[in-house]
Amino acid sequence: MKKAPVTVLRLPRGPDPNSRGFDPNSPRFIALCPTSIPSSAGEGACIEEEQRSRSELRERFLRTLIKMSNKPVNFDMYEGVQVRAKFGASDIDVLNFQVSELQTPIGVQKEALLRCHDMISFSFDV
Amino acid sequence: MAMRQTPLTCSGHTRPVVDLAFSGITPYGYFLISACKDGKPMLRQGDTGDWIGTFLGHKGAVWGATLNKEATKAATAAADFSAKVWDAVTGEEVLTLAHKHIVKTVDFTQDSNSLLTAGNDKLLRIYDLNKPEAEPQEISGHTSAIKKALWCNNDQQILSAADDKTIRLWDKTSSEAVKTLTFDQAVSSMEYIPDGEILVITYGKTVAFYNAHSLDLIKTVDAPTSIHSASLHPDKDYFVAGGDDFKLYKYDYTTKEEMESYKGHFGPVHCVRFSPDGELYASGSEDGTLRLWQTAVGKTYGLWKCVLPACTTEELASENSDAIYCPPEIKA
Repeated sequence: MKKAPVTVLRLPRGPDPNSRGFDPNSPRFIALCPTSIPSSAGEGACIEEEQRSRSELRERFLRTLIKMSNKPVNFDMYEGVQVRAKFGASDIDVLNFQVSELQTPIGVQKEALLRCHDMISFSFDV
Repeated sequence: MAMRQTPLTCSGHTRPVVDLAFSGITPYGYFLISACKDGKPMLRQGDTGDWIGTFLGHKGAVWGATLNKEATKAATAAADFSAKVWDAVTGEEVLTLAHKHIVKTVDFTQDSNSLLTAGNDKLLRIYDLNKPEAEPQEISGHTSAIKKALWCNNDQQILSAADDKTIRLWDKTSSEAVKTLTFDQAVSSMEYIPDGEILVITYGKTVAFYNAHSLDLIKTVDAPTSIHSASLHPDKDYFVAGGDDFKLYKYDYTTKEEMESYKGHFGPVHCVRFSPDGELYASGSEDGTLRLWQTAVGKTYGLWKCVLPACTTEELASENSDAIYCPPEIKA
């Protein structure tokens, strides 16, 4: 006699294509990360002030990225690599930068993705 | 009437899944992490397989992944010559530990204060996670790449399996090898069961069980195919194994008899592990998927639903019924 298959309520949920997950509204996140900002100075010490500084620095960084749009930027990478390209945009997690006209020792790459982990610093003229 | 196993397929990875690990049971359930050659390890809810998040940052294939007991930290070992420690609640990268070669395996101690790493540079490394800049303790001895390294015996000792066809038991304090097991072929996987001090090893078509203290052989079981991974049920009544023929095998641990085999994967099975409550086991395959399998087929658990007889009589009357029936109590 043919066996009947076990029924399931639904299939497991797959990844969200637009985010890396770790929903900050999940009960576990709320319970275990009341403030998701780790303090550099240990317990209790001026969390508010640190939070304010961090927000300011973050905002400054994001504004820098906006200002960089369509401008030529010099990138200092590991292994002494220095390249120049026109900055397009960053991805949401600042893992990759989309650039165009990337000047490399072997020619100009029309469109490219630079990995942020490979960068030490970058600079541009405001 | 017996029921047919319905595996739950967890998609999302784009390359082979090479390692997986469960956390302990936490107030929020238990969790599962999967290591994949696509470089993006994923965290899932353990009993449903629902995706929670992806750890982004590695630049190469991830060969090993683990969670601490509380599922608050994750660690991964990758082909980009680094091991990373992650906050498993926020998904943030907490630490990158640079190595000189591909890292294959990572394991937390029970208190999550130390991380053991090992890989193609043939060294075991112990990092103090409270002092990550400090030089790790290094233990050498293996003559080939280390595939798997685990803490054992209350985190006082370390078990390592390498391509040099040996498994070695090391004392953490002295960095000395206490015992060595030599095989004819490379060991494909290793699992340590603290409760009962059992070591589960696979090589060729064999699943072998050893005492983790003495490294005395308890028993061996031969499978129909080359086995890549096996896992012993927490109650030690079954074990499951998977390998080259894409199937999952379930054996009675006491009698060594093959009880069931399940088709489902479209590629060789690389890793298989029982959940901490023993109610399901997860398998990772070359086909890029994870599948969750019920230990007691037909039982209501997670996303699996046992349809009660009362509903079935109505269904039987209808033309389109699948006649799904579930006896009220299924003994595992």
